[in-house]
Amino acid sequence: MSRPILIVGGGPAGLAAARALTQVGQPAVLVEKNSRLGGAPILSGYARLVPSGEWAKDAIGGMVARVQQERRASIHLGTTVKTFTGAPGNFTAELSDGRRIEVAAAILCTGFTHFDSLNKPEWGFGTFADVVTTTQVEQMIASGRGVRCPSDGRKPERVAILLCVGSRDRQIGRPWCSKVCCTVSANIAMEIRQELPGCHVYIYYMDIRTFGLYETQYYWRSQEEFKVKYIKARIAEVTSDGQKLIVKGEDTLVKRPITIPFDLVVHAIGMDPNVDNGAIAQIFGVALETHGYLARGNSYGNTAETSRAGVFVAGAACGPETIDDSIAQGHAAAVRALALTLPTQASA
Amino acid sequence: MPIHEQSLIRPEDLRTHEKLVVDGVDVSGHWSTFIQTRVVTDYNERLQEEIAALPGGEYIHRCWQCGSCTNACTVNAVNPDFNPRFWIYLVRMGMESELLRDKDIIWQCVSCNKCTYACPRDVFPEGVMKALSHWLELKGHTPKSPAMIFDETFAAQVIARGRIEEGRLIKGFFARTGQSLRQDWLVEMLRRMLRHLPLGLLGRLGLSSVRAPRTRGWGAAREALTEYVQEQRAQQRRALGLSALIAAARHDASGTAGD
Repeated sequence: MSRPILIVGGGPAGLAAARALTQVGQPAVLVEKNSRLGGAPILSGYARLVPSGEWAKDAIGGMVARVQQERRASIHLGTTVKTFTGAPGNFTAELSDGRRIEVAAAILCTGFTHFDSLNKPEWGFGTFADVVTTTQVEQMIASGRGVRCPSDGRKPERVAILLCVGSRDRQIGRPWCSKVCCTVSANIAMEIRQELPGCHVYIYYMDIRTFGLYETQYYWRSQEEFKVKYIKARIAEVTSDGQKLIVKGEDTLVKRPITIPFDLVVHAIGMDPNVDNGAIAQIFGVALETHGYLARGNSYGNTAETSRAGVFVAGAACGPETIDDSIAQGHAAAVRALALTLPTQASA
Repeated sequence: MPIHEQSLIRPEDLRTHEKLVVDGVDVSGHWSTFIQTRVVTDYNERLQEEIAALPGGEYIHRCWQCGSCTNACTVNAVNPDFNPRFWIYLVRMGMESELLRDKDIIWQCVSCNKCTYACPRDVFPEGVMKALSHWLELKGHTPKSPAMIFDETFAAQVIARGRIEEGRLIKGFFARTGQSLRQDWLVEMLRRMLRHLPLGLLGRLGLSSVRAPRTRGWGAAREALTEYVQEQRAQQRRALGLSALIAAARHDASGTAGD
């Protein structure tokens, strides 16, 4: 039997890779630092996923269950990789629990870290209880209790969603677009309008990037069916008059300053590089790209490559990514890693 | 200190105090010119709902402010202040006072529908403009235009009798707009008609103005139309928060019978 393939990270990309490999008879070792599999959608308690509307606990939970049932998948929870040495087809990984395993290749599916809104103090997170993040709203929806103001549990009558919190912002060293937040925000806005029809939802944007088919499914639909309002303004600060949150900025379309009262302000937080990327890069000997994500070795021929032969990458580890594309990349990386287990390829 | 880009500020937003002392410092006259705050302090969600409740305004919420309507606009080419895109935005954000600044040009839409064909989101801006004029009129911000009075007189006659009679239409229109029947063009037209002595026509005209002609069997249609119009009016007034009392008064004033 060939050496197993090491998969680091049990989110959508890692689960997809593990499932793809084991389904063709290839053993996989799945190492996850958290005590549960599922990655951000499960660990952060996402609600309905884009684009199918399935609940995260069903869609990603189902992936977790299928991998857990795989005989050929060896799962190590609460575990990290300490050292990784050797050559393609013949690597040795030392795990944090002291175990040493011989593997043919590694796939890094180490994902991202949610932006911490405390790094944008002018937008009130951490100062005002009713300033929350998209992740928190996802949790409110997933819990079944609905979207409420954390300060007193009341139903909000007016909600502001601020886009690009932790994205496209040189002030905090995050010039990239996090890719999914526009679509996620439109999705959340529609869910709020559905649950609380009397609640008005405003989205403050610089550009709307509901790319591809999401344009009609999320941007247009949120406007046309759910009457969500989009205002072109980057908010300057969120304060409070003691009763309501006050959102200040410039409405660029009428060239006028705005100070609008809101009940709930939602930060559409972006995707940071995984906080552990520095360590991951050292342990696996792979390069990071300029923003701090894992660098792809190849943009077209073999997109799963890193700078080190035999070490592959998939999903949001190498940049903001959607769940479905992360899954596709997990599959792609699995095929590339599988090639290293073949006798003719091992020495190549 | 001079105000930079003062040309961009509306004159009514500038305040110059003849005598003003701030913290013991005299800043009278030139030094005390202040710009009034232009801050938008709230949204009024009612405004979009009101416009959407009027015929033509139904799709205003689709607008994403691309400006295709204004680019295509016939009237905008003549008057740059005529900006449908901007008004749609003011309505969506509920900036009513801002909208009312343009009440005297909003109704100038010529309904060419070039915006309708340009709009990528099917907002039907021409319909929105119609709804806006209607809203301004219903709310009492603008007087009824002569064209609207003519339309009302015309429609009222059709609803009442199933047809129109030109003499009554002209008389009704002039009476409601306070104009004299002795219009130069009308006098001239009659004079030229008389020159040819179209006896049959004049006879029919005279007879019709005495005995109002009526489409046979019109009763059921009239009832249905009247009911529909009243229903629509009541619905629109409710949506605009106009009281039934005002509605009734205005309804009477518009003259259902047309004469």
